[in-house]
Amino acid sequence: MAPVVGIVANPVSARDIRRVVANATSLQIADRANILLRVLAALHACGVRDVLMMPENGGIRAHVERGLMRARGSGASRGEDIYPALHTVSMPVTGTVADTHRATAEMRRAGVSALVVLGGDGTHRAVAAECGTVPIAGISTGTNNAFPEHREPTITGLATGLAVTGRVPPHIAFAANKRIDVSLVSGANGGAVTEMALVDVALVTERYIGARALWRTENFRELYVTFADPEVIGMSAIAGLLEPVDRDESGGLMVRLSPDGTCRKGITTLNAPIAPGMMARVGVTDWRRMPAGVAFVPEVTAGSVALDGERELSFTERDRLSLTLRDDAFRTVNVAAVMRHAGQNRLLTGTPVPVTSAF
Amino acid sequence: MAQNPFPLGKDELLKAYRTMRTIREFEERLHVDFAKGDIPGFVHLYAGEEACATGIMMHLNDNDRIASTHRGHGHCIAKGVDVHAMMAEIYGRSTGACRGKGGSMHIADLSKGMMGANGILGAGAPLICGAALAAKVRGDRGVGITFVGDGASNQGTFLESLNLAAVWNLPVVFVVENNGYAESTAMEWAVSCDSYVDRATGFGMPGVTVDGTDFFAVYEAAGEIIRRARDGGGPALLECNMVRFYGHFEGDAQTYRAKGELEAIRASRDCLTILSERVIEAGVIGRDELQAIDREVNALIEDATRAAKAAPLPTPDDLLRDVYVAY
Repeated sequence: MAPVVGIVANPVSARDIRRVVANATSLQIADRANILLRVLAALHACGVRDVLMMPENGGIRAHVERGLMRARGSGASRGEDIYPALHTVSMPVTGTVADTHRATAEMRRAGVSALVVLGGDGTHRAVAAECGTVPIAGISTGTNNAFPEHREPTITGLATGLAVTGRVPPHIAFAANKRIDVSLVSGANGGAVTEMALVDVALVTERYIGARALWRTENFRELYVTFADPEVIGMSAIAGLLEPVDRDESGGLMVRLSPDGTCRKGITTLNAPIAPGMMARVGVTDWRRMPAGVAFVPEVTAGSVALDGERELSFTERDRLSLTLRDDAFRTVNVAAVMRHAGQNRLLTGTPVPVTSAF
Repeated sequence: MAQNPFPLGKDELLKAYRTMRTIREFEERLHVDFAKGDIPGFVHLYAGEEACATGIMMHLNDNDRIASTHRGHGHCIAKGVDVHAMMAEIYGRSTGACRGKGGSMHIADLSKGMMGANGILGAGAPLICGAALAAKVRGDRGVGITFVGDGASNQGTFLESLNLAAVWNLPVVFVVENNGYAESTAMEWAVSCDSYVDRATGFGMPGVTVDGTDFFAVYEAAGEIIRRARDGGGPALLECNMVRFYGHFEGDAQTYRAKGELEAIRASRDCLTILSERVIEAGVIGRDELQAIDREVNALIEDATRAAKAAPLPTPDDLLRDVYVAY
């Protein structure tokens, strides 16, 4: 059966206060649609003929359809289809993260071979919560974008197409990823909330969700990351500039930050890019490895839990909070490995090297 | 009493609740009295949108100017305009904020920095650019806030003002109160840009979108944007996604809404309920304290209505008074 690729494109990412407190990007809807057109062209070039897209009212799909129509009408395609057929998941649109959850689940049930995701860390987290074993190909159109790697989307589309059409062996095409599961049990009613983060869980003293974003370093207390990358921004950068932890190694890192946010004697002072263009000094009291499968109970007893850079849950002294890192939690398309394999085996030439000879 | 986890002290939280409750009761009373035929002219109610006006105005002082819309009662109350004077104005009485000649859509009080509600869609934006330019020239750190709905955001005056504010780096905040409908037309049918952040970006200024039913989200975002403008950082756009509990105008049958839509938003997106439940749950404010405010506000609105009804109408001699000004 010909592979079908799912697409989740979030029209509301990159809209928060970090446009003002920092100089974060404001990727326009038309730009997001152009990204999708590039991905679609690459998928078609690899033999993908059908894609299934999340419906939204933010305008992305309308721009994409206009692009498809213009391509058909312009003659540039010389009468040949250069894009796959675009289908939409049949579901109501709420304009909330619930759309991403539902669309992902529907696409998984429909048997898509991979999910191309446009958004920031939050969008990718919503997809990862529902994708099961379907691999994600992430494209960064959000604010901090620690999880999706920065890359020309055409290449991400090519890698996804090569992976789902079986032209690259699965052990090369797909990579395992970590996540942190967050469990919050209410002391008031015993109700439990479980959430997850793909990159970082930050515990901050603000006990309201408000504008969601994190930028007031004086409120940072504890930080848990699945990978600590000195090349990204946000919470993961703090950990990455202390002790890098790769995406593909087991476990993560836990960091305790100075309670008063200042830099006193005996405290490591770190100058870190906590948001786009926003360098901040943070005091670090301690950091250590966070092994997979071990539940961590924070020292902070009240505040908010920020998942991948955004405040999502608040908790009090009465509640019980624990965090557990999971290895091999979900899969992504390993774009770098796929494209290297494609080059080494000349997959995009007229006479590719047989796959078997690559081993 | 539990430790306060919010970005405002208890007194400020109570003030925010009182402001939002006052707007709600003011509008609910007008809804009833308009249906009885007691009120002349048109009224456009702000009920459901209280968190936006309140979350923004908490950061302003009387030196800061706002330019409002046809749906301006909430802006007036949050900016500190006297409720008795407002009610009298809406009833067309000579004791009104504009001596009964303006009515609902033209309430103004310059002493509070309220430059006026405005019956002309998008007309507040160029006015506030003028006020902001004055503040910039004076160097008094004043800021200007203008409000538009999603419909008026398409007016040329608004778009020209975005450009003017950007090229002159004016201390202006453009607030788009997006309640989803331009009168009866849903946004996706009428607004060419898909996001107001995109529109702001096109004019060279940052834009931010927040949940306008969450007082704390509005308060926090508005605080950063207003501080930036006050410090010389230039204009910005704030989009508040919100809901209105009544029609575009009183008497609007709202046939453009989906079945059950109003009931759903009243049940799940009532900004007043969201705020009160949060502060009560956190143990910062007791339900009895909020109920006491409710009683005081009810008494205030009742008294303002009674006084308005009893006040005299303008006389024929008042017709041209305050209309022309000699410079």
